[in-house]
Amino acid sequence: MKRFPIPQGTLDMLILQIVSLEPLHGYGIAQRVDQISRSVVQVNQGSLYPALHRLELKGWLKAEWKESETGREAKFYSLTASGRKQLAAEKHGWARLASAVQLIFDEGAR
Amino acid sequence: MITQLANWFRRKKLETGLERELHYHLDRRITDLERSGLPTAEARRQALLELGGIAQIEEEVRDVWLTRWLRDFTYDLRLSTRSFLRIPSFSITAVLSLVLGIGATTAIYSLVDQVLLHALPVRQPERLVLIDWHGDQVANGFGSWNLMSYPICRDLDKQKQFFEGVFCRALTTVNLSTGGDYRPAAAEIVSNNYFQVLGVGPVVGRVLTNDDDGTPNANPVAVLSYDFWETQLGRAPDVVGRKVLVNRHPLTIIGVAASTFKGIDVGEVPSIWIPASMSAQAIPGFNDLLDRRTRWMQVLGRLNQGVKVQEAAAGLQPWFKAMLQEDMRRAGFPVITPERRREFLNSSLVLTAAPQGHSSLRRRLLEPLWVLFAVTALLLGLACLNVSGLFLARGSARDREIGTRLALGASRGRLARQLLAESVLIAFVGGLLGIAVAPVAVRTLIAFLPPGTAPTALHVGVDSRLLLFAFLASVAAGLLSGLAPAWQAGRRSLMSSLRERGGTAFGGVRLRKIIVTAQIALTLTLVVGAALFLRTLDALMAKGPGFITSSLVSFGIDSQRSGYSPAEGNRLIRRIDEAIRQSPITEVSAIAQVPLLTGGSWNDPMTILADKRFSTNRDDVNLNAVTLGFFQTMGIKIIEGRNFDERDVRAAGEKGWRSAIVNEAFVRRYLGGRSPLGVRIGEGSGPDVKPNIEIVGVMSNFSYRGLREDSEQAYFPFFEGEAAGGTFYVRVRGTPQSFLPSLREIVHSADPTLPMTDFRTVDEQVDRSLNSEHMLATLSSSFSALALLLSLVGLYGVMSFVVTQRTREIGIRLALGATRWSAIWLVLRDALAMILSGIGIGLPFVWALGRLVESQLYEVKPSDPLVIALTILVLGSAGLGAALIPAHRASGINPTDALRVE
Repeated sequence: MKRFPIPQGTLDMLILQIVSLEPLHGYGIAQRVDQISRSVVQVNQGSLYPALHRLELKGWLKAEWKESETGREAKFYSLTASGRKQLAAEKHGWARLASAVQLIFDEGAR
Repeated sequence: MITQLANWFRRKKLETGLERELHYHLDRRITDLERSGLPTAEARRQALLELGGIAQIEEEVRDVWLTRWLRDFTYDLRLSTRSFLRIPSFSITAVLSLVLGIGATTAIYSLVDQVLLHALPVRQPERLVLIDWHGDQVANGFGSWNLMSYPICRDLDKQKQFFEGVFCRALTTVNLSTGGDYRPAAAEIVSNNYFQVLGVGPVVGRVLTNDDDGTPNANPVAVLSYDFWETQLGRAPDVVGRKVLVNRHPLTIIGVAASTFKGIDVGEVPSIWIPASMSAQAIPGFNDLLDRRTRWMQVLGRLNQGVKVQEAAAGLQPWFKAMLQEDMRRAGFPVITPERRREFLNSSLVLTAAPQGHSSLRRRLLEPLWVLFAVTALLLGLACLNVSGLFLARGSARDREIGTRLALGASRGRLARQLLAESVLIAFVGGLLGIAVAPVAVRTLIAFLPPGTAPTALHVGVDSRLLLFAFLASVAAGLLSGLAPAWQAGRRSLMSSLRERGGTAFGGVRLRKIIVTAQIALTLTLVVGAALFLRTLDALMAKGPGFITSSLVSFGIDSQRSGYSPAEGNRLIRRIDEAIRQSPITEVSAIAQVPLLTGGSWNDPMTILADKRFSTNRDDVNLNAVTLGFFQTMGIKIIEGRNFDERDVRAAGEKGWRSAIVNEAFVRRYLGGRSPLGVRIGEGSGPDVKPNIEIVGVMSNFSYRGLREDSEQAYFPFFEGEAAGGTFYVRVRGTPQSFLPSLREIVHSADPTLPMTDFRTVDEQVDRSLNSEHMLATLSSSFSALALLLSLVGLYGVMSFVVTQRTREIGIRLALGATRWSAIWLVLRDALAMILSGIGIGLPFVWALGRLVESQLYEVKPSDPLVIALTILVLGSAGLGAALIPAHRASGINPTDALRVE
């Protein structure tokens, strides 16, 4: 199955969701994005880092240098309180959009 | 935006962090790929491929940190710095222009801020109001402005629905001693609630409060100012409980006020605060503290939280009207005409916001300072235009560079921003240097302020408000200077700039001409202003005070402040007068009760009994009392009648004066030219005044308060009054300065502890009285000279450029037989067009400026045709002179050389 590129703006949401489960470093997030989306969406690993830094600047993520599973220091990102709020808002918005789109499709199918 | 600015300062740290982060990612990926069986080199290649270029990611992340705009700006600044360092002559000229403009504006602003704008360092100064009586108070009084009586102030303090409190204060000079010599010192006489209402506390001891006894003479205490405590008492910790002598009366020090607090008058820093209850000790001979009809104090109040000025003013009216009615029924209320009674009853209270307190210095400097501020703002504008011109000139030299950048895909907006960044950078350098020179400039300016302004009143340092101002001025200057070049860059046609060959670019000549025209317009305004102030000063100097000032020395003596009773004081004054007149150094000498040319005067309404009986307005006739030798000492002519003599000496038990000498202005205004001799006048107004003073002589007009006014005056014989002090005028044989010690000795031998005040030559006194005129004339002419220089440089620059640009054209003309003169005319015509249109544009500005400064002028109208014509002549010829140099160069062009250029 051919993978389609990730829609504009959803990368942030994806990152927030992944980091909400546990603090992770950039490589870990990349791998998780890869696993989750292996067969569906395609994420350019290069765009991951600007996104992480943007979310950090907005105050939704906070970062901390910690020892990683390999013993080397890595920059771990975790969700802040306002990041948690943002994630909830995005989820809610997404659900509404999806159901609205579904409604339109259902309308057309009838 | 703030975070991003902060990021700029810690970008080193961010960079290393990002590098580590990306390397971690890469190394992990490579390890993972190796584990899946790829060879190391291949794993590395694939990992890099997946990531998509480290440099690109780094760039994108940097954009996140700083935003695109800020990053570009930092690049712009770096590029600008490099390009400035490459052409130092250009940069130095531009920076110097701006240092001049920003430095001058900042220095003047420092004074504007301190004298006019700065709120008092007290609790919530915005709630303070000045309360003033509008109308006839039917009162006598002394002091400067906005005066009321102490009892009325106390009544106002009870209006608690509007005021948290109302206090009153009066400035005076006392002879102050902390044990040693007596020295004159500024003192503020205040109601007990003064410190409480202002919200000023002590650093040592306590301040006056409402709990202090307000009964007259009951509370001999004083609060010292921090400055006085520091300079005179070495900050002695045991100061509380010590005694100071005020006019020989001991007062106990109860505390020292907060260090930031210097009274409520910016020009006068009191050394000591004395409760109003001790006013009889602070002002010798004053016993009217409880008199409702003696106005001598300024009244200020603190409005209750949330109460507006107008609300309070309107709300006070019913109480105030009732008070007026009640006052009229009080015993001792003067008998007045129905007309005056109406005026009294129609009085109202006027409240004005007074966050800056009350200051006579502010009143005097309000207009001159704003005028100077406007002048320096114009100068700054001129400097900006100059820098603009310089940038445009350089812009045309950089045409190729800019064309190339456009061709490589730079947006016009981006280029314009680059140029703005350059001008802002230059402006900041100019601003920094401007701040560096500002303290020196402020010190120079303070020297121009009215003498008598307390030396500690104003500071020359740079505070945060001044920094903010200089910063804003620099930003404005930067944007203003960069506007024209940036606009020019935005309009440049790509094709033409690439097609043109080096050196012949048509870079913004039109714009540069417009700039020079604007400069000429501004310069015209400034030069006309300077000429008006110079003529004003000149006219006042030429007019003079109306008496002969050479070899004349004056000094004041107030014996009552040194504890003399009026009778003893009178005897002392006579003794000193006698000693001075006997001294070999003295040619003639005299005493006047009120000093001349200090801005102050003695005023009272006069009742005149001529064809009919009438009274003058309170402030119209200036009064004085002088000794017999006064007219001879001052060189004032007795035009009609006689000088004072033995006929004016009173019989024992007789009260008041027998005779008076009035001046010509008095005769012209009140006696309609009829012979004044024998006319009887009386001091005061109202039916109970007996006009029994006979006019025995008429003196020529001379200046009393200041050189500007020609007031009506009436003089009485000095020793027929109870004067225990006055100002001595001594005409010495020779240069006055050399005799100052001898005069001091004479006074000392009469009483070694008696201080002499304002000891100086009368020439110096004349200079002092003209000090705001001096300030305006000197500063505005130096500023306009600078302005003229700047615009001549601008004109010269643009004309040189035009000549270079038209070399070929002029060469062809010359080759075809045009004369050298026609080549010169070709250039001059251009310059003349700019000069004339500049003058045309400037004239309305001149008119506007004239309205601003009209009240500062003397015997010259702002539209004075001679001044304007002269200015135009000077400006025009200087401008043509500047254009003549390039024009001459044009006439010297060799046609063959010109045609070979290419």
